[in-house]
Amino acid sequence: MKLEFTVNGQDYTLDVNPDDRLLDVLRDKLGLTSVKEGCSEGECGACTVIMDGAAVTSCTVLAIQARGKEIITVEGLEKNGELDELQKSFIKNGAVQCGFCTPGMLMSSKALLMKNPNPTEEEIKRAIEGNLCRCTGYVKIIKAVKDVIEG
Amino acid sequence: MESLVVETPESLDELVECLKRADKNTYLLAGGTDLIIRMRRSKIYSGKVIDLSGINELKKIKEESKYLRIGALVTHSMISENDKIKEFFPALMEASSQVGSTQIRNRGTIAGNIANSSPCADTVPPLMTSSAKVRTINGKGEIKERDIDEVVKGSGFNYLQKDEAIIEIIIPKLGNEYLSAFGKLGSRTAVTIAKINGAILVKMDSTGKKIKKAYVSLGALGPKAFRSKIVEDRLIGKEISRQLFHDLCNSLIEQVDLAIKGRSSHPYKREAIKGMAQDIFIRLFGSGVLENEKK
Ligand SMILES: Cc1cc2nc3c(=O)[nH]c(=O)nc-3n(C[C@H](O)[C@H](O)[C@H](O)COP(=O)(O)OP(=O)(O)OC[C@H]3O[C@@H](n4cnc5c(N)ncnc54)[C@H](O)[C@@H]3O)c2cc1C
Repeated sequence: MKLEFTVNGQDYTLDVNPDDRLLDVLRDKLGLTSVKEGCSEGECGACTVIMDGAAVTSCTVLAIQARGKEIITVEGLEKNGELDELQKSFIKNGAVQCGFCTPGMLMSSKALLMKNPNPTEEEIKRAIEGNLCRCTGYVKIIKAVKDVIEG
Repeated sequence: MESLVVETPESLDELVECLKRADKNTYLLAGGTDLIIRMRRSKIYSGKVIDLSGINELKKIKEESKYLRIGALVTHSMISENDKIKEFFPALMEASSQVGSTQIRNRGTIAGNIANSSPCADTVPPLMTSSAKVRTINGKGEIKERDIDEVVKGSGFNYLQKDEAIIEIIIPKLGNEYLSAFGKLGSRTAVTIAKINGAILVKMDSTGKKIKKAYVSLGALGPKAFRSKIVEDRLIGKEISRQLFHDLCNSLIEQVDLAIKGRSSHPYKREAIKGMAQDIFIRLFGSGVLENEKK
């Protein structure tokens, strides 16, 4: 099937299988390996990407459902060789440990900040409740997001 | 091996054309948060998927004089953020806002939640307390309206025909004399055994202190949510008080005993339901009633 969509600002027309998930196409066809396959059941959030401004688990979206949509992955955060403020803040705050959950965490928090540049701590927690981390314990991740708001 | 075919209707007319050719190997796809996982688990790689997600006319919440019409593809996020649903039926707003996670609420739809017919689907108890109607269309273009009970069969099955799709959920706009709330404990998968949910809708008398009518629906106590006459009877005619809270708890426990006695989840749920009762009670009547009388 023909899939036309935009990924990280670039238009693509791809030939995809009917049963490909958005996750499969981003990783295997476009080589965007920041998109991690964790549980494959929408629970862990490692495969989170932004689709038309909203965080979604790309393992529960069929690739063809992304037709006409705009997708952002971690690869699209960096601008002109410079990391996004959020990425810098994750590094500065030690919010990355093993790193597997990090892309999903970044995309969930980025989606929040795109919608609401000034979220409360409650809103941050709600935005990342669908992202499991088994190393840092969330505190540093929440701090990293808060730091971006406070500038 | 035969492979999967995906059809992508972009309007209701095109949907009807697709439904005309539907058979037992046809699957309707909305947000995919249940279906895609289920198809992979069951290793279904052939048949036909009708992807509804391109039908924009089903993505709106419309207000009419007496009803709110919620399009089948309206997501839990849209319901959580909608002022009209908050105003006229807060129980539904609360249910959708407690579904899964942000990512799941951004994709999961109200029609998918109903059609998936899981025993613990969160929007079903609130919809059962109101006289919500489910509108469907079939391959002949015929439109039908049914009660939620006539759509949800339970345990993951529904009563829809293979060539039928939900297009709208219609809920009455309830006036100021109505109060509604939803409560739940436990997450969907973490410990399935610990899941419990429910909704209460009450109509107050003219003084605003006494319950005139009560509608109570409980989920996760059987194949599908059901209205609990035991609890409703215990609420009708009562004034808002601490005693009412105790009556609510006791009648809920009675209902749990009746529904699942002997099951392994019974001892837990009979305790847990008190926590759910407290959440719902406070959302309905405020926390003042329970606090004041403690002093
Ligand atoms: C991690 C995770 C957490 C979750 N947490 C919760 C939770 O807390 N509470 C809860 O209630 N649910 C939860 N769910 C389940 C799911 O997200 C909801 O049931 C959601 O509303 C399903 O909607 P969907 O659009 O994604 O449905 P889909 O997966 O697209 O479809 C589900 C079923 O409904 C049918 N269907 C879809 N649309 C229509 C239609 N218009 N007409 C007829 N049939 C249709 C499909 O054929 C399929 O059988 C969770 C799921 C995941 C993955």
